[in-house]
Amino acid sequence: MIKVKDIIKSYGNGESRFQVLQGISLEIQDGDFVVILGASGSGKSTFLNVISGLERPDSGKVFYDTTEITALSDKELTVFRKENVGFIFQQYYLLPDMSVDKNVKMGADLAGNKDYKNVIEAVGLGEKLHKYPSELSGGEQQRVSVARALAKKPKVLFLDEPTGALDEQTGRQVLDYICKLKKQYGFTIVMVTHNLNIAEMAKTVVKMNSGKISEIYQNEVQKSAYEIGW
Amino acid sequence: MLIGIKNAAKLIGISIIACCAVLVCTMFLNFYFDVQSIESEITSELSLIYYNAQVSTAKVVCLVSGGCLLITSAVMLMFYIKHYIDTHKKELGILKALGYSNLKIAKSFWVFGISAFIGTVIGFGGAFLLMPWLYALQNKDKILPEIAINFHPIIFLYFVILPTVGFSLLAISYAWCKLKRPVLSLLKEDFKSLAKVKKHKKDKHSEYSFVDDLKRNTLKSKKVLVFFIIFASFSFSAMTQMSFSMKDLSSEMMGAMILIIGLVLAFTTMFLAITTVINGNTRTIAMMQVFGYSQKDCCKAILSGYRPMSYIGFAIGTVYQYVLLRIMVDIVFKDFEGMPIYEFDFPVMIISLVAFILIYEILMYVYSERIKKISIKEIMIE
Repeated sequence: MIKVKDIIKSYGNGESRFQVLQGISLEIQDGDFVVILGASGSGKSTFLNVISGLERPDSGKVFYDTTEITALSDKELTVFRKENVGFIFQQYYLLPDMSVDKNVKMGADLAGNKDYKNVIEAVGLGEKLHKYPSELSGGEQQRVSVARALAKKPKVLFLDEPTGALDEQTGRQVLDYICKLKKQYGFTIVMVTHNLNIAEMAKTVVKMNSGKISEIYQNEVQKSAYEIGW
Repeated sequence: MLIGIKNAAKLIGISIIACCAVLVCTMFLNFYFDVQSIESEITSELSLIYYNAQVSTAKVVCLVSGGCLLITSAVMLMFYIKHYIDTHKKELGILKALGYSNLKIAKSFWVFGISAFIGTVIGFGGAFLLMPWLYALQNKDKILPEIAINFHPIIFLYFVILPTVGFSLLAISYAWCKLKRPVLSLLKEDFKSLAKVKKHKKDKHSEYSFVDDLKRNTLKSKKVLVFFIIFASFSFSAMTQMSFSMKDLSSEMMGAMILIIGLVLAFTTMFLAITTVINGNTRTIAMMQVFGYSQKDCCKAILSGYRPMSYIGFAIGTVYQYVLLRIMVDIVFKDFEGMPIYEFDFPVMIISLVAFILIYEILMYVYSERIKKISIKEIMIE
């Protein structure tokens, strides 16, 4: 379980100092599918960065079960990320000079995963193992980044606007792959998006506004990627 | 002006190398011209042999040092222009989209010639400051008649005007060639901007770990940086060993001058190469950190591939300095009596190697600390 207590995070100095997160508390159960919903500037990406251990809060605590990650040193935090979390970003961040196989290996090596090619097959890129990112479409590149994140067998998968750079069809396809793989591997999903429709796929929806949580609710029915609007 | 003086200022590496090249070449070419003016005053056979040796020395030093440093400066200039275009391709793409021609944009690259001008002027001035000492040294036994220092305008033309104009023209023409790509390939941020799609090769190295694969890839992707690392190690090795080995052949001052030039060249080139490697891989390093790779892994993948190259450079430098001194002793000064015997100086080589390894590893440590400071957040909000 992820437990977030009174997180405060500010940027800037002096008069230009701006509080992005204003005392956020939240609990995320293991295996949950959480969508953090909010408009641009609501603080949702910063919140994701803080709970995933990419950024440190000014104050407040983040626990993964009994481990307080906000108290870990940089080195310990790196080990924590290595062993626990996977990331998928809007901009993919693939390594341009490396093939699909080697990009996915980046994640797989961290978990000693020798069967990582199964994950590449699972996202439908088995035929494109030796292609380079420049030879793939946006949707395919995002699927590579999904495979890369899952090849390290994360306990929690963090996604920051994973469909933000994709068209409707490829966006649905990528989300569908993620949901199928979640069923297969059972990891927790924490996804940031501004798309209200995508929130219908989640079990738990956390709405954010001006650095605060404005609403938390559970969906009674979780829709599939092909059932939601766009 | 599309490209400002500020951009040219970043080419300090070229200025330093140009300065070293012009300093050495101006001193020896000026000496070459001035020593020729006393040819008619030489009467004894010993003086004639010594005169011929001095003329040959000046020619060899000018050609070897000047040629080597000129090529390095030109490679560095082209490398920087390519790097500039790659990092500013969006702005350049917008200019092309607005209707600026390739030539119009390329013309503004002339300012990069300023870096050569600054270096050559400093080198030229410095040479005239050091010339009295060189002239005295070359004729310390007074075998030749008094050699007066004269100003030869042709040298100013050769070593200041021509390099400046040449480097400006090189910058314009190289930029013009590099800008000849479609507007969209400059504007698009994604990887399609890679001009050529790599050939699919069967993965021969799949047994390697990701870090090892990345290490090989980093090395292969920027071959010019390998050249710079080899050149830096070569400069260090050749110049330090030469400066100590030639203590019996020349003066301590000459040795010190060679040592300083070698160290300046080595550090400048090494700094440029490693900084470019890290800047070019910032995103990769950030992603590795996001995924949980340790600082040690990041350094291994990005920096350690250059270590064998640096040793190769050191070995080439060792051979080069030995062959050069051998040529000087066996060919240039072969008829000159009293020339000390020159043998390969093994202890000096060992000391240089140890110093090289120490300095190289300290530099790598400093840069690994820089890798540690790469902000994940900055990459994410780019």
